Amino acid sequence: MNEALEKIRQDALARLAEVQDEKELEALNVSVLGRNGALTEILRTMGKLDKEQRAKLGQASNAVKKELEEAIGKRREEIAEIMMEKRFAAEALDVTEPGKRKAPKGHLHPMTRTYREIRDALIGMGFTTFGGPEVEYDDYNFTKLNLPLDHPARDMQDTFYINDKVVLRTHTSPCEARALLNLKPPFRLVMPGRVFRVDEVDASHSPVFMQMEGFVVDRDITLADLKGTLDTFVHAVFGEDVRTRFRPSYFPFTEPSAEVDISCSICGGKGCRVCKGTGWIEILGCGVTNPHELENCGLDPKEWKAIAFGIGVDRVTSLKYGITDIRLEYENDARFLRQF
Amino acid sequence: MKLPLSWLKDYVEWNVTPEEFVERMMWRGFEVADILDEMPGVSGVVVGRITALEKHPNADKLQICTIDVGAAEPLTIVTGATNVFEGALVPVALDGAKLVGGIEIKPTKMRGVESYGMLCSGKELGLTEADYPGAEVYGIMILNGDLTLGESIEKAIGMDDIIFDIELTPNRADCQSIIGICREAAAALGQKFAEPVIRKVAGEGNSADYASVTVENTELCPRYSARVVTDLVIEPSPKWMQRRLKAVGMRPINNIVDITNYVLVEYGHPMHAFDLACVKDGHIVVRNAHEGEVVTTLDSKERPVTPDMLLIADPEKGVGIAGVMGGENSEITENTKATLFEAAAFKGSNIRATTRKLRHVTDAAARFIKGVEPVNAYLALERAIELVDELKAGKIIGEPIDVCAADVSPRVIDVDYAHVNKILNTAIAPEDMVKMLGTINISAEVIGDILRVDVPHFRTDIESGIEADWDIAEEVGRIYGYDNIPPTLMNGQTFRGRVGDDLRDEDAIKDLLVNEGCCEMYNYNFTGPAALDALRIPEGDEKRLAVKLLNPFGEDQSLMRTTLLAGVLDSVARNYGRKTGQTRFFEVGNVHFDNNDDLPEERKLIGIAYAGEEEDFFTLKGSIEALLESFNMLEGYSIVAGGGEYFQPGQKALILADGEVIGECGAIHPKVQKAWSIPQKVYYAEISVEKLRAHKGGKRTYQALPRFPKVTLDIAVVVEESVTAAEMKAAIASAPVALTIGDVELFDVYRGVGIPEGKKSMAYSFALSAADHTLTGDEIQQGMKCVIDTLGEKLGAQLRA
Repeated sequence: MNEALEKIRQDALARLAEVQDEKELEALNVSVLGRNGALTEILRTMGKLDKEQRAKLGQASNAVKKELEEAIGKRREEIAEIMMEKRFAAEALDVTEPGKRKAPKGHLHPMTRTYREIRDALIGMGFTTFGGPEVEYDDYNFTKLNLPLDHPARDMQDTFYINDKVVLRTHTSPCEARALLNLKPPFRLVMPGRVFRVDEVDASHSPVFMQMEGFVVDRDITLADLKGTLDTFVHAVFGEDVRTRFRPSYFPFTEPSAEVDISCSICGGKGCRVCKGTGWIEILGCGVTNPHELENCGLDPKEWKAIAFGIGVDRVTSLKYGITDIRLEYENDARFLRQF
Repeated sequence: MKLPLSWLKDYVEWNVTPEEFVERMMWRGFEVADILDEMPGVSGVVVGRITALEKHPNADKLQICTIDVGAAEPLTIVTGATNVFEGALVPVALDGAKLVGGIEIKPTKMRGVESYGMLCSGKELGLTEADYPGAEVYGIMILNGDLTLGESIEKAIGMDDIIFDIELTPNRADCQSIIGICREAAAALGQKFAEPVIRKVAGEGNSADYASVTVENTELCPRYSARVVTDLVIEPSPKWMQRRLKAVGMRPINNIVDITNYVLVEYGHPMHAFDLACVKDGHIVVRNAHEGEVVTTLDSKERPVTPDMLLIADPEKGVGIAGVMGGENSEITENTKATLFEAAAFKGSNIRATTRKLRHVTDAAARFIKGVEPVNAYLALERAIELVDELKAGKIIGEPIDVCAADVSPRVIDVDYAHVNKILNTAIAPEDMVKMLGTINISAEVIGDILRVDVPHFRTDIESGIEADWDIAEEVGRIYGYDNIPPTLMNGQTFRGRVGDDLRDEDAIKDLLVNEGCCEMYNYNFTGPAALDALRIPEGDEKRLAVKLLNPFGEDQSLMRTTLLAGVLDSVARNYGRKTGQTRFFEVGNVHFDNNDDLPEERKLIGIAYAGEEEDFFTLKGSIEALLESFNMLEGYSIVAGGGEYFQPGQKALILADGEVIGECGAIHPKVQKAWSIPQKVYYAEISVEKLRAHKGGKRTYQALPRFPKVTLDIAVVVEESVTAAEMKAAIASAPVALTIGDVELFDVYRGVGIPEGKKSMAYSFALSAADHTLTGDEIQQGMKCVIDTLGEKLGAQLRA
C-alpha cells in the first residue's frame, strides 16, 4: 500500500515538474488531490484495512497530501512568474517611437522670448513695467525729450506723421515723459513697446520694431550707476562671460550719453562678419537724462537725477539666436517660428 | 566726415597705427565707420616694365607682352592696346587683382595664348588726367619716372593715402570740418592742437567801390561776410588741392569753386562765389522772397520760392536761395572777371524748412541745418582769401564786407564742478578738469566752488543755461574715459519690481494659446483701404475709422490697422503657399481708431486663426473656451450667432462675457478667402484683451467635495432642427427636481434613418446627486422622468425610440 502511495507521490512530483501553465497545474491538482483524485482513491481503500494499518496509511497519505499541496502551491507561484514574463515579452514596446500629443505644442515668437528675458532681468533689479501708446504726441516723442521742432537731431529719426502734432512714436522714450508727468519719483521702470521709423525693409531694417526703455529716477543716480545697471543686465541676458564696452555717444535726451557694445557672441570677440571684424556689437544707447527733459516734465534737475537706456528687442533677438535677416521676424513662417 | 590721413598729418605727429587711432577716437565718441583707400576698389596692381612685345600668332589686333614686375619670372600678358611699346612702364593687374567696378583679374587664354594678368588703363584704375597725366588717354596708362618694378600702383603714383570715414553725432557740428576733427584727433593722440593762424591779406582799393551788402532779416541771417576779388584767372586748381578734394569725395571744377569747397571741408563752413558782374550794382540784399518769386538755381531748375524763405538778391532779382543753392544767373564761368565770395551764417531751422518745402537738400544746406556759427563764417572768408592769394587767382579788393548782427563776444559759463563729479560719480580735482578741457582747447579756471569756462566759439553745443553742468560733465567724462569710471549698483530705497497685471495677463494669454498648438505671429501695424475692402468691411463700420499716415510707404500701407485679420491672413497665406504645415496661429497686437486730431483710441486684440484639415468652428471654439476657462470666466460666458462681414453666414458668432461682446469668431467668408488665395478653410477669432481682462472671473473659493456618489445618466431625444444645444443644456439643467443636476454634456447629434425629416436626435449625459444621501432607485427614476418631461414641455422633445 505504501508503495502505491509512494508511486502517486513520485508521479505527481514528476508531472508537476513538467507543468507549464495554470490549466495543466489545475488538472494535476484535481487528478491527484481532487474528489476523485488518486490520493482520495487510496484513502477510499482504507476501509478494508485494520485499525493499525489504517492509522499508518492515514498518516502517510496526509504527509503526502501536505507535501504535494505545498509543491503545487510553489509551482503555482512559479508559473505566475513565468506567465508574467511571457506577458512582458509580448507587451514590450519600441520606446523610440514618437510620443503622442493632443495637439502639437505651439511656439512663442522669438521676440516675445527675448522681451520676457530682458523684462525679467530688470524686474529682478527692482524695475516695474510701464507703458504708453504707439501713436503718440509729437510733444512727448520729441519736444519734451529735448528735441524741439528745429533741433538738428530730429533728422536722426525719420518719423511717420499722422498730423503736425501726432506721430507714430519713433522710440519708447515718450513713456519717460508720461512717467515723469504721472508718477511720483523715485521709480525704476521698464517700458516695452513697438516703435516706428521710416526705414525701407531690408535685412537689417524694419519700419516696425520693438524697443524696451529702462528709466530710473532717483535723487543721487549717476553715470556709474548706469554702467553697473547695464553690466548686470547684460550678464543676465547674454551670460556672465560676455564683456561690455561703454563708449561716449550722443542722444538729445541724455547727457552724458553712451552706447553699449557687447563682445560678439558669434566669434567670442575675435572678429567675424556679424561684428564686422571688430569683435564688438552695439546693443543699446543710454545716458544720464538731460536736465531739459526733467525740467520740461516738471522735475527740478538739481534735486532729481535720472538714467535711461533703450534696447532694441529685434536686435537682441537676432544676436541671441544668430538670425541674420530681420525680415524673418515679421514673416511668420512657421518653419522659422517652430525653431524657438 | 572723411578725414584723409595726409591732411591729419598737417596737424598731428602720426605715431600710431590706423587701428590704434580708430580705437582712441572711439573712446572719445567718434566712431570710425570705415578706413578707405585713395584709390577705392583697386588692389593687386603693380608697376611693370614691358621687356618684349610680339604679335599674337592668331589675332591681328592682339599683342603678347613680356612683363617684368620685379619677380624672378617675367609674366606673359596679352593686350589689345596699341599705345604700348618695349621699355614702357605700365600698371599691371596681377592674378587676383581688383579693379574699379568690381572686376577681378584671373589668368585666361586669349586666342590660344595664356595671359597672366592685365595691363590697365587709367579708367580701369578710377583715375583722371588730374590724378595722373595720361590717365585719360585711349589705351594703357603709361607711367613716367624712375619707378620700382613690383611696387603697388598706389604708392608709385602717390595715391596711397588712407581716409578715415568718421561718423559724427549731431551735436558736434564743429567736427564736420578738418580743423574740428583734427582738434579732437590731436587730443586723442595726446598732442597739443595748434589752432591754425590765417594770414590776413590786405586788399587793394576800396570794397565799397565794387560791392555792398544789406541784410534785411538779421534773425535768419545773423552774419553776412563777403569780399571782392577782381582780375580773376579761372583755371584748374593745383594738384594738391584737387587731390584733397577728391579724397573727401568732391569733384574739382576750377580754382575759384575749388577754393570755396576746400574751405567748406577745412572749416566746415559753406561758401558761395557770385559772378559780380551779374549782381546789379554789386549790391547784395539778403531778404525774404516775394510772393510768387521764382529762382533758377545752379542745377538749371526753376524753383518757386515763398516769403518764408530767405533769398540772396540784388536790387532787381534773386541770385540764390540762402544756404541752399546759388542762382544760375550769377554762376562763376570761365568768363567771370570779378567775384564776390560769400560766407554767411543762416538760421538752421529756416534752412531746414526751406529744404523740406523745396524737397531739395544740398551739402551746404545740410551744414546750415546742423548749425554753423558766425565767428567761423568770418574765418572761412579770410581763409578763402588767403587761398586766392596763394593760388594767385585774382586781385583781392579792400577790406572784407561784414554785416554782423550776431553776438560774437566770448562766452563764459560757470560750472558747479562738485555737481560734475556727482553726475559722473567721480572725484576729479577741479584743477584736473581744467587740464582735461585744455586738451580740446577749452580754457577754464577754478574760482572757489566754480569752474569758469571760456566756451570757444566753435562749441555751440555747450550751453549757458541749466545744461552747462551736464555739458561739461560730458566733456570731462569722455576725456577722463568712461572706461575709468567704475560701475556701481544703484542704492537708495529698495524697490519691489513687478510685471504689471496687464502684461502678466498678456503672458497668460500667449502661453495658453501656445499650449493650444498655436505659433505666435508679429505682423506690421500698417494696412490699406484695399485690404479693408477685401475684408468686406462696410462703409461707416467702425473698422473704417483707420488712422491715416501723412507719409506712408504706399497706399497699401497708408493706414494703421483696425483689425488684426488682414495681417494674420497675409501670414496664413504665406504659410499655406510655403507648405509649412502649420495650422494654428495667433497674434496679440494693437489696433487704432481715428479720434479726429487727437491721439487715436488704441485697443489690444488677440487674433487666432486655425486653418487645416482637422480644424473646424468647434476646434477654434474649444480653444476660445480654454482661454476663457484660464481666466475663470466660463460662468457668465455665452456665444450667440453674429459677427462681421468677413465671416461666412451661419458659421459666425459673437463671444459674450456677462452679456458684453468681447469678441467674435467664425469661418472666413469664401470671398475673403479668395482675395487672399487661401484654398484651405480658415477659422478666425478676434477678442479684445481689455474686455477679456475686465470680465476676468473673481477670486476662486473652495467648494466642499461631495460626500455621496453621483449617478450619471444618458438620454437621447428627438427635437426640431431649430432647437440649439444651448437651449437643450439650459432645459436639462432647469428640470424641477429636488436633486442636483450637473455635468450636462452633449455627446451625440444624429440625423437620418429613424429620425423624421427636419428633426434631429440629441444625446446627453448628465449627473444626479444629493448633498446628504446616496440616491435611491426611485429618486433616480423620478429625476430622469422629470428631465424628460421638462424637455418635452419646453422644447417639444420626445424620447428617442
